[in-house]
Amino acid sequence: MILRSIEMENFGRFQGQTIEFRRGMNLVIGPNEAGKSTIAEAVPAVLFGTDRLEQYKPWGRNACSASLFFEGGGRTIQIKRNLITDQVELVERDDLYQPLSQFSGKAPLRGRSSSCREYRQLLESLLGVTDEKLFRATYYFGHQPQDWSGDELAQNLRTLVSGTAEADYANILDRLLDEHFALTRSNPWGRDKQRDREYEDVCCKLEKLGPVDVVPVFVEIDDSTDIAAQLEALSAELADDRIEYEKGLRYVDHVRSSQVATAASDSQTPVDETSQAAGAAGQHDLREQLAAAGLPENPPVNLQELLAEAAEIRQEMSALQQPYAALGSREKKIPGVPWTVLLSVVGLLTLVTAAAWWRQLYPLPVASIAVIVVACFAGFCGWRFWRRRTAQAECSTERGKLDQKKSAVQDRQSELSERCEALGLPSSPIDLVRLQKLVSKNLELLESYWGLPAAERPGDGVVEQLPQSREDNGKAGPGDDSPPAGEAQELEARLAEFAAEMDRKEARLQKLKAQLEQRASAQQVNAGGDGAALLQRKHELETRIRLLRKAINLLVAAVDEFGRSHLVHLNQEASRLFAKITAGRYAEIRLDENMVPSIRVQGRRWMPAENFSKGTVDALYLALRTALTKLRDDGRSLPLMLDDPFVHLDQKRLAIALNMVDLASVDGQLVLFSHNLELGKRAARERWHVVPLDENTAETRTDEEGGEHAGQLHLL
Amino acid sequence: MTGLLESDQIKILAREESVRGVLVRLVLEQAESADLDEVKLLEQALQLLLNRFQAMEGDAS
Repeated sequence: MILRSIEMENFGRFQGQTIEFRRGMNLVIGPNEAGKSTIAEAVPAVLFGTDRLEQYKPWGRNACSASLFFEGGGRTIQIKRNLITDQVELVERDDLYQPLSQFSGKAPLRGRSSSCREYRQLLESLLGVTDEKLFRATYYFGHQPQDWSGDELAQNLRTLVSGTAEADYANILDRLLDEHFALTRSNPWGRDKQRDREYEDVCCKLEKLGPVDVVPVFVEIDDSTDIAAQLEALSAELADDRIEYEKGLRYVDHVRSSQVATAASDSQTPVDETSQAAGAAGQHDLREQLAAAGLPENPPVNLQELLAEAAEIRQEMSALQQPYAALGSREKKIPGVPWTVLLSVVGLLTLVTAAAWWRQLYPLPVASIAVIVVACFAGFCGWRFWRRRTAQAECSTERGKLDQKKSAVQDRQSELSERCEALGLPSSPIDLVRLQKLVSKNLELLESYWGLPAAERPGDGVVEQLPQSREDNGKAGPGDDSPPAGEAQELEARLAEFAAEMDRKEARLQKLKAQLEQRASAQQVNAGGDGAALLQRKHELETRIRLLRKAINLLVAAVDEFGRSHLVHLNQEASRLFAKITAGRYAEIRLDENMVPSIRVQGRRWMPAENFSKGTVDALYLALRTALTKLRDDGRSLPLMLDDPFVHLDQKRLAIALNMVDLASVDGQLVLFSHNLELGKRAARERWHVVPLDENTAETRTDEEGGEHAGQLHLL
Repeated sequence: MTGLLESDQIKILAREESVRGVLVRLVLEQAESADLDEVKLLEQALQLLLNRFQAMEGDAS
């Protein structure tokens, strides 16, 4: 089975593109941000769903879907997923295009419904995969860290063999052991711990108390916290369900009313009184809710547009304040003319000159100097006066412009106020701000109101205009928007199912409440005496310790068993591949029981892998990953996806690694994503299938129509 | 056998070539010849371990 193509519709940067693949080696090549990783991620996203929808859904669009086409053994499998609704359409066909199996339904990433189970079973039978994490751990080779440090490589390998992409079995074991030793000093796997723990303390206290008469109420584990958490989650879920149910009821009412209106319009008969009464009741209820929320009784459909316009006007008004303030400040800073100083100087010099004339003490020179000084000072004052007039004229022009803008905004405000008043809305800016807050809080309620048929919203000015505009557009007729016949029955049936599901949840909720009360009363009984409480606690601790020991033993046994059954084969296969990549320089690698890799040097000495260069460690990792994939899926039902894993290899090793993956691709299909343009030459030589990407992903090309090697020729 | 050990999810996990798969196979094998109490304990232990695998994935992401 090979992946023949991926179709992406509004998926990341791809809008309606099809990427074709072939058996053997495929190279998706392009610079960074060209969409390589998006293509790689499309495969698990379609197969299993994703919780990173925002990463793929284009901004501002409410659509995101992709399809995968697999082919092999005379069969084709098409899987299409709408990533927003998680609706999956799977069809398997034979070579005569007759459907062999199919599935249609919702299958979200972590869904547990019967529909999800059915889909996963089909997926497993067709492609041998059911788990996203295991898929990633098996078929994905991504970027590796710049440097492997300490235990990182071993941890990564432990995670991969654990069967997930993120959980390391050794960490799980450590945590279980920590939990066990927090409860007791007893150590079944070695020498006992030094310090007494809670279990020993409880036993000691019980010994001191002597025989206890009270028979404890049997509670296996103190699961009150779990029950309380379940109770809380279920209550929240039920509350959400009730809201959804109410919405459903309203929608069914709306559908029914629309159908009645359609029927009435078609037959030219008056609308049924019952539906009118139902509509009126719904309208009345909604109006009450709107009034309670402080919203107008008949909010128009374009309320949000009006409020947005009001907000825009407010913004413009506030934007004007800053230039006004700046202008005021500039006007204040315009320097004045020192007329007073000039007059004082003139007066002073006149007195000095008069005195000089009276005393006949150099009267002419004094008078001349006085005239010169006054003339200079007067010139300075004249220059200042001219500057001041110019600056004032500029400010005045600017103020005029600002006043014009302000006047335009005020006109818009007045016009908006008039429109608001006409629609029965408050007209003052403050009231509109308050209304906007209320609208954003009660948007759901308003949408419910707007969801009502226009006939039930007589006060809605905008809606009243709709029939006219529809007639203008030549699309008049109530039947245009009417839901299809039979939808109401289908919706009712779904609602009934939903109600039944809610009843089941309600019953479960009651049961959980009863259990919680039982636990509480049991604790109360035990609280009757210290001895009883201690006995109860001892019993709980023993149960928990027993459970932890069982879990630890099982996990240790599973790891041992995995080592026995797989490790030898894994080491052999990885060694063979590693020797090939390193051209025989290192012939053998070994994973110990903790998945710590070592490399045999010069045919005898073993050295930890972390002591080697980054390129060698990368080659080792590649060999181990390939061996692990082979171990898990020798039939190769899905392609291996390599997302630039060779960035740290030198040219020689890169060539050998590519030889290796090229050889690996002979058995099935391999998709290599890379930004290394040098690989293009290699691809042309080796006749790989090439998918070139460029930064303008919309112009993504496939070389299907250009002949067998058009992709390679494009690169050449 | 109890509900968890007979579930489809467990059957699928048992086919995995991984530590998790081996663990499930081991539990199913032990449950074959265990008494009712032991089966219950095995089921609880398996549930605990699978939850830990799941929880750690949550931690990591």
